[in-house]
Amino acid sequence: MENLQENHQNIQIEEIPDEFQCCVCLELLYKPVVLGCGHIACFWCIFKAMNSWRESHCPICRHPYHHFPSVCRLMHSLVVKLYPLASARREKQVAEEEEVGHCSPQFDDYLSESRCKKDSVPDNASPHCGPSQKCGSAEEGEHSSGDVSLDPATSSSEPSKDAMSKDLNFAGEITGASEKQVLMRYLLCGICKQLLCRPVVLNCGHVYCENCVINPSDKLCRCPVCQLEHPNGYPNICLILAHYLEEQFPELYASREKASAYRAARQMPSAQNQDEAAGCKSLPRFDLSAWLTGGGPQVHIGVGCDHCGMCPIVGERYKCKDCKEKIGFDLCEGCYKSSSKLPGRFNQQHTPEHQFESVQPFQVRNVVLRLQPDQLEVDGSIGLVEFVEDSSGEPQHLDEDSLETNSPLDDLRDGQVGNISSSGTGDDQGGRESALGNISSSGTGDDQRGRESADSI
Amino acid sequence: MVDLARVQKELHECNRDFQVSGINVSLKGDSLTHLIGTIPGPTGTPYEGGTFNIDITLTDGYPFEPPKMKFATKVWHPNISSQSGAICLDILKDQWSPALTLKTALLSIQALLSAPEPDDPQDAVVAQQYLRDHQTFVGTARYWTETFAKTSTLAADEKVHKLVEMGFPEAQVRSTLAATGWDENMALEKLLSS
Repeated sequence: MENLQENHQNIQIEEIPDEFQCCVCLELLYKPVVLGCGHIACFWCIFKAMNSWRESHCPICRHPYHHFPSVCRLMHSLVVKLYPLASARREKQVAEEEEVGHCSPQFDDYLSESRCKKDSVPDNASPHCGPSQKCGSAEEGEHSSGDVSLDPATSSSEPSKDAMSKDLNFAGEITGASEKQVLMRYLLCGICKQLLCRPVVLNCGHVYCENCVINPSDKLCRCPVCQLEHPNGYPNICLILAHYLEEQFPELYASREKASAYRAARQMPSAQNQDEAAGCKSLPRFDLSAWLTGGGPQVHIGVGCDHCGMCPIVGERYKCKDCKEKIGFDLCEGCYKSSSKLPGRFNQQHTPEHQFESVQPFQVRNVVLRLQPDQLEVDGSIGLVEFVEDSSGEPQHLDEDSLETNSPLDDLRDGQVGNISSSGTGDDQGGRESALGNISSSGTGDDQRGRESADSI
Repeated sequence: MVDLARVQKELHECNRDFQVSGINVSLKGDSLTHLIGTIPGPTGTPYEGGTFNIDITLTDGYPFEPPKMKFATKVWHPNISSQSGAICLDILKDQWSPALTLKTALLSIQALLSAPEPDDPQDAVVAQQYLRDHQTFVGTARYWTETFAKTSTLAADEKVHKLVEMGFPEAQVRSTLAATGWDENMALEKLLSS
């Protein structure tokens, strides 16, 4: 017992409250990402927990999502500020893991600590906050977004410089202003410039007051800084952040909440609206079985879009021909057409000059349909492996993934093939469909069941 | 790669509130990937009074893949194989989430003991009996609990008493004994090394 306790103390430098603990690794949140449902986990934890075959589910509430969120820099800098020692230890630990390379590809430069320290003031605290929102009411003296005219090009080029200068200010403040006031500078809404109230974190990682960014008249929710659309309805309030604000600034937060409730009453006819909007999906219809049977849009298993985070990519996939990194650099159709200038999510040295090519998905469908049931039973797995090797050059993400937990190929070898062979006797379309139905239904990263069925052959 | 840091944390966490949950997880050998969990039979069920050992193997993907769990103690239950101890529980299969822990999984198994799902059986014979002849089912389950899941209370108390007399706190003695499957020597070794 005591041994364990000693270990534990070594591990933990500061006492980390439960709310800043990642639900997956049970450690201090490191480069936290916030899902649409408002739950938080580490970047790598979510990356590893995502399903490469189909939409993923929140580890806590199983809320479905299809887009890997960007790191929430506000949360990240908050955690680093509150727990500097533990964060430093986590950074080192993660860096080591990344070096070994078995659990993760290279890390993102713009996320890496050196850079993060530079712009520890999150992006959304910059004055370039996009077109003014109707929520900023006139009574608020500090409200300034009305006179900021915005050109996305300038706003995207300036934040780092801007953040640096802010950082200098910030360094000065540490000595002067009280700790709380300093802390509060981290926690402002990028739109109304006041303390965040009922904070929501968009898929791009930017944080706003719920009332500022959610516009009930239009069902989409777009980030004013990076112009990225938040997928999958409205985001939920990030309760951990909300509780933290409530605890740290009880009076201010209460008054903010009161004001926003008043505004909400005027602007949002009913909460029902929001429920409706939460149900509407802005992502392309995602149906793996439809694709496998030749109907729906193609699915690029195990490949994620480096801009919006959609994983797996549904529809067209554009792959960078010039990025040398193992993980590659890919965009979905929408992001390719919007010609984004954002860096990749995994530290790819991608530049706007790089050329893209359209890539066809890994054709599982054809293989599956070509093989006869008895073939599948006897040497189906070998056939598949050969196929993968033949088509090398393309599925490097799959190679990457096969080291990971939810390897699509592992699934295929172990589970799906078994399922198909057990039911793929009919040679008519109906028979195929039922066989493929099995694929999709068990393609949930359910290795357990897959293995069992494979064993039973 | 099993996330060993997480497993260690889980063990610590679980043993800390052993008093409340009655759930214990301990190492089977030297490796952190083979564990033994113990759960007390829920009160008001035929499993009451029994202590059930569950064999836990962590696969490489843990915590992104579910831990492999099966009963090491024989148990008569529609969703648990009376032969192999295999457990039919969705969270150990496709409903696993990396936010679940060994402790929550064991708690779920404990809940499964109190709420069998005969419509989704693991052991068809038991399930049939559960549905058709509930009386006999309860009797058999109780008999199995008595036979396989109980260390005789008398002997157990004696062991506890002996170790307490050596100067270890009783709570710790009990948890250690439970963890070592009531093996007195192993428990003593563990107590001494802790």
